Amino acid sequence: MNPMVRKELRQRMRERKGWILPSLYLFVLSAITVLAYYGVAFTSGQEVQGFQVGVALFFAAAYAQLCLLLLLVPIFSAAALTIEKEQRTLAGLLTSLLRAADIWWGKFVASLLFVLLLLVAGLPVVSAAFAFGGIGPWEVFMMTLTTLLILASISACGLYWSSAFRRSVHATAVTYVTVVALTVVTFVVFFITESLRGAHDWSTMPASVKVPLYFNPIFFLTMAFAPPRELYPEWGACAAVYLAIALLSVLLTLHNLRRAGEGT
Amino acid sequence: MIHIEQIRKSYNGTRGLDSFSLRIGAGELCGLVGPNGAGKTTLIKILATLLPPDGGQATVAGIDVTQNRAAIKALVGYMPDQPGLYQDMRVKEFLEFFADAFRISGARRSDAVDHGLQRSGLAERSAAFVEELSFGMKQRLLLAKTLLHEPKVLLLDEPATGLDPLARIDLRQRLRELSNQGLTILVSSHILADLEEICDRVALISEGRNAVDASGQSVLEMQPAKPQAAMYEIEVLGEIQPAVAVVGSIAGVRVLQSEGQALLVEIAGGPSNAAALLRAVVGSGLDVVRFERPSLTLEQRYRQIFGGGRQ
Repeated sequence: MNPMVRKELRQRMRERKGWILPSLYLFVLSAITVLAYYGVAFTSGQEVQGFQVGVALFFAAAYAQLCLLLLLVPIFSAAALTIEKEQRTLAGLLTSLLRAADIWWGKFVASLLFVLLLLVAGLPVVSAAFAFGGIGPWEVFMMTLTTLLILASISACGLYWSSAFRRSVHATAVTYVTVVALTVVTFVVFFITESLRGAHDWSTMPASVKVPLYFNPIFFLTMAFAPPRELYPEWGACAAVYLAIALLSVLLTLHNLRRAGEGT
Repeated sequence: MIHIEQIRKSYNGTRGLDSFSLRIGAGELCGLVGPNGAGKTTLIKILATLLPPDGGQATVAGIDVTQNRAAIKALVGYMPDQPGLYQDMRVKEFLEFFADAFRISGARRSDAVDHGLQRSGLAERSAAFVEELSFGMKQRLLLAKTLLHEPKVLLLDEPATGLDPLARIDLRQRLRELSNQGLTILVSSHILADLEEICDRVALISEGRNAVDASGQSVLEMQPAKPQAAMYEIEVLGEIQPAVAVVGSIAGVRVLQSEGQALLVEIAGGPSNAAALLRAVVGSGLDVVRFERPSLTLEQRYRQIFGGGRQ
């Protein structure tokens, strides 16, 4: 096992947030799911079929989960390298036989495993929709895969900012700005472009108008619920964009780590 | 073992190192002194592969520090000026982590960790968290971590800063022991008395360049201390005044200071004049108990070299 992974996991599980955050996360996710259940089952004013409740619960839990994790990911990733600079331990890592890729991988896996822990912990809540029908394992699988892909890319992005800044507070702030830019700004840009170009029909809309949405995590998750044969091109395009973001972040982080000795 | 030739390094247009050169032999314990901002830390970081030089060449055991960084890292143990430790790790975990980071595995790993615990004197506190240790203990732990992979060269940047006198004495002894075991050590410090006691030589650096003393030397021999030319101390039994009179009457000899039963004199010319002076003093019936060339302490020499602009 990469020694960085072991060290990171041990340190993270010793932190108080190692158990506080999962507890809070599960509490909020459960509360949203319960609210969604009451919202659909008792306030619609007409008789509701079981599968409708199941679908509503699933979507509420899936989007709530993504939003919650988008809020939490910067906490795990953006401080990962800056903390080494702040506590003056980066020089020790860089002068050991660990390569920049080993250091990056240790930090990335540790932050992603913690996110995965939250994702797995939330699965029973999300899977409550099974009891009502309307949702199958395929939807759960695609939701989990897409959420993980988004969070891995954001983690890689956070690690890049962590390698670029000296202070955790700055890296975390910029990572949140990145999350907001991807989640909100892309929607705004899309709607402005759509209005200006007068292209309201999705099927005939030019690709240049759609492009901002390919960067949007909510849109990416929505596309994951398309039938399997319709995953291309929208879901595929989103996946390609997020993989590209992750790859670019990795390369830039490794570049920064190789010249990080100047900041030690 | 360490060859530094005309090394240069700039930060945002400011010269950190400006054609600095130094050669350190295998097994030598070499000090590096100079004012703040002289380039000591930059030089050590270049040798530790943390910084790439802008020009010149630096090699450790014949390996260029910019060409084969992994080989240099295996050869070198680096201890930074501001010790970085994982406060939330246990002492043993800390050493185990760095043993893994240096790819030490199997029986060698547990041996290295146990040796590190013994060497740092922290075997009984191996389960304690690093944050519970005193500063001196942390420094010992850091030195043990630096030695885990049995480096051939030690680069220590201000290792004694913040240590209490006993911890400093302990550090001096450890460094001398390591030097005696054959390690090549380059240590920078502002605590000149420590360097004077343990170092074989001390290199002078100022504004990124080799600084020189009054005699044009950029590397000072410490053991044995190099005596200053043309100054002698004479100690006699009995009254000092007759000795002052005798010495003062000899041509080419000037009494600089007389205190108690000792005289400090300056002799023009070479050693033959000193021998003549000794003959004259003894011949006059004075009981000479000491006749030697005084040596300047490193601190005095430092003040001569770097103290010009400061009070």
